[in-house]
Amino acid sequence: MQKAFGKKSVIFLFVFPAFLIYTAFVIVSIVWAGYYSFFDWSGVGEKVFVGFKNYIELLTQDSVFRSTIWHTLIYTVINVVIQVFGGLLFAVLLSRIKKGRVVLQTLYYIPVVISSVAICQIFTKLLSVTPTGIVNQLLSFIDPSMKLMEWISNPAISLYVTAFVEAYKYLGLYMVIFYAALIGVPDELGEAALIDGATTFKEYLYVRIPYIKPVIIANCLLVLNGSLRSFEFSYLLTHGGPGNASELMTTYMYKQAFTSMKYGYGSSVAIMIVIICMVVGMIFRKMTREGEEE
Amino acid sequence: MRKMKKALSLLMTAAMTAGLLTGASAATAFAGDGERTKITALLKGTESTEQFLVFDHLLQNFCEEKGLDYEIELVNDMQDYFTKLQMYINSNTLPDIYGCPNGTLSQACLDIDALVDVGAELERNGYAENLNGAVRDFLTDANDGNLYLFPQGLYCEYFMYRKDIFENAGITEAPTTWTEFEEACQKIADVGEIPVVVGGSDAWQLMRYLSFSPWRVTGSDFITNYQNGTDSFSDNESAKYAVNLLADLGTKGYFEPGFASVDFTSACNLFFGGTGAIFYTGSGQIGLAEEMYDNDELGFFPVPDTEGMENMSTNVPIHAGFAEGFNKATYDDTMQEFFDYMCENFSDACYNQAQIFSPFNEELPEGLPKLYYDTQPMFAEADTAWTSWDDKLDSDVLTKIVDEQQKLAQGISSPDEFIATCDSFIEK
Repeated sequence: MQKAFGKKSVIFLFVFPAFLIYTAFVIVSIVWAGYYSFFDWSGVGEKVFVGFKNYIELLTQDSVFRSTIWHTLIYTVINVVIQVFGGLLFAVLLSRIKKGRVVLQTLYYIPVVISSVAICQIFTKLLSVTPTGIVNQLLSFIDPSMKLMEWISNPAISLYVTAFVEAYKYLGLYMVIFYAALIGVPDELGEAALIDGATTFKEYLYVRIPYIKPVIIANCLLVLNGSLRSFEFSYLLTHGGPGNASELMTTYMYKQAFTSMKYGYGSSVAIMIVIICMVVGMIFRKMTREGEEE
Repeated sequence: MRKMKKALSLLMTAAMTAGLLTGASAATAFAGDGERTKITALLKGTESTEQFLVFDHLLQNFCEEKGLDYEIELVNDMQDYFTKLQMYINSNTLPDIYGCPNGTLSQACLDIDALVDVGAELERNGYAENLNGAVRDFLTDANDGNLYLFPQGLYCEYFMYRKDIFENAGITEAPTTWTEFEEACQKIADVGEIPVVVGGSDAWQLMRYLSFSPWRVTGSDFITNYQNGTDSFSDNESAKYAVNLLADLGTKGYFEPGFASVDFTSACNLFFGGTGAIFYTGSGQIGLAEEMYDNDELGFFPVPDTEGMENMSTNVPIHAGFAEGFNKATYDDTMQEFFDYMCENFSDACYNQAQIFSPFNEELPEGLPKLYYDTQPMFAEADTAWTSWDDKLDSDVLTKIVDEQQKLAQGISSPDEFIATCDSFIEK
């Protein structure tokens, strides 16, 4: 058996289907988007070749696109903080309790299996101003003016609210991954630390959490990647608004291609997203590798 | 290596077969001998929207009579619908009947010769004279003056108001000018009620407030000339008036709190559920308004006049909804027969299936909700159709104005900033 897995043909057999599907759905799409980005095309009719005009306009004149890059970075940071570090905190707390752990674990995981559309609908109702949603109703008991607090339609906070909703959905997923990693930490390491006089807090801080560092890095990369490409929460909850207040690179790409019917320009935004994702991903990997080498 | 080649060839065969099957699905409306077996339609909406209710009824009865099948593909989201329609246009595989707005997409269909001249067909079957003039005007092709689209129905829009709130606020007459409208809003706000309910997350709702004044004063001239680069918000008094109006309504708190995140359906639920004093609605929502109107809780008034400017006599926006095109490539004798059957039974389907006004000038049947009979005189004399900015503006400009109008209504940008920004979208 082991010998068979060592054979190149067997490895190829296992890798090929995934490679084929990945190529068909990802690589081909990127290549096509790259091709379309050199055209001025409304989606119907003739395509007009414009060379690098779309990219020049995007990078030099389009202030909305520049703001969407900034929004996406903020959005990503919020998601990394809540999903990864929030997930880690919840996992640590879960690993400390014995009674009701399974119930809590299941409850925290429920948002992961609910569809994004449903989650957005739930939050739209929860955060509604007219009619007053549950959140504002509860807050109004503390301060009556909070009854009119706008969450989704307030340009100052709509981006943060959107990021929070996505983070809320996936928090449970990373919590489960961290929990699985934490219970995999050999008990003798923790016990040795405790014998040496460490408190429980220090045991986690200096022993258990450093032990699962590769998992933390992998999760960071997953959240980073997911958040940079995030689309549905901004689109469903705020439509990128009010104005462009919560517009992300992806929703902007969608608007350009399908609402403004500028397929060429939308494709150039798509290519920029690919490049930005790759650059951010590589910087992150470089940073974390350097840490590993140290 | 040989095995690998075999595997690859198998894969390619599978892919080609899948491709052929996909391509074949568009052609299944015809049997092997070329006889039509099915009528296909692509419509925007769900199984409860007017377009589906009317066409499902008509196709079901017609196909039953002729021993045919029919298939209606529904796409609810507007953007998804446009994407789907574009895909069909690009691949030239449009169904027999398809929903299509008058504008860029109908032009794209004409470019591939995929639209039947509905006007000529109506002349042939004798229904041309019956078609409402404003509806015809709304759908007439801007380039050649022909009619290529069949109306979804006749829609008229107006403001509905709560009589009890008006009474409490001391408003005795429905506003006839925008100044009176704003005064009424202030009085309503003073008694602690929400003056106007608006579905601000749906672009068209706020855009109506931007369009009213230019429409009443210039008809379609302002928006057509703006798109052509020969007019601008800063040069047109009625457009400037509309910009200030929207800014006033939004920033003075006349719209409901959080209006930017309320969609039209939620706004309907709010108003007809008892929140707010005024709501811009229309014949499409008669079903929702019926009970309150019958109980004398609701009144209605048309689009107010713009003071200091000459307003056209038509003050009720009339349009044809999301129109339908007939695919010229598949328009055979059966489809022509269906077209005649449709014209004959369209009014009945509109009133009894979808509860909308028929686009044909016919006497209203008995037994309809009272609101039908009471609102009909408002548009009986209308000779000018509503000018939909969605149809007149280039998609890119439209998208940008949609973003800007929300900023304007929320006070994020001032009227002057809005005017300067929107004027910069068009190259003169």
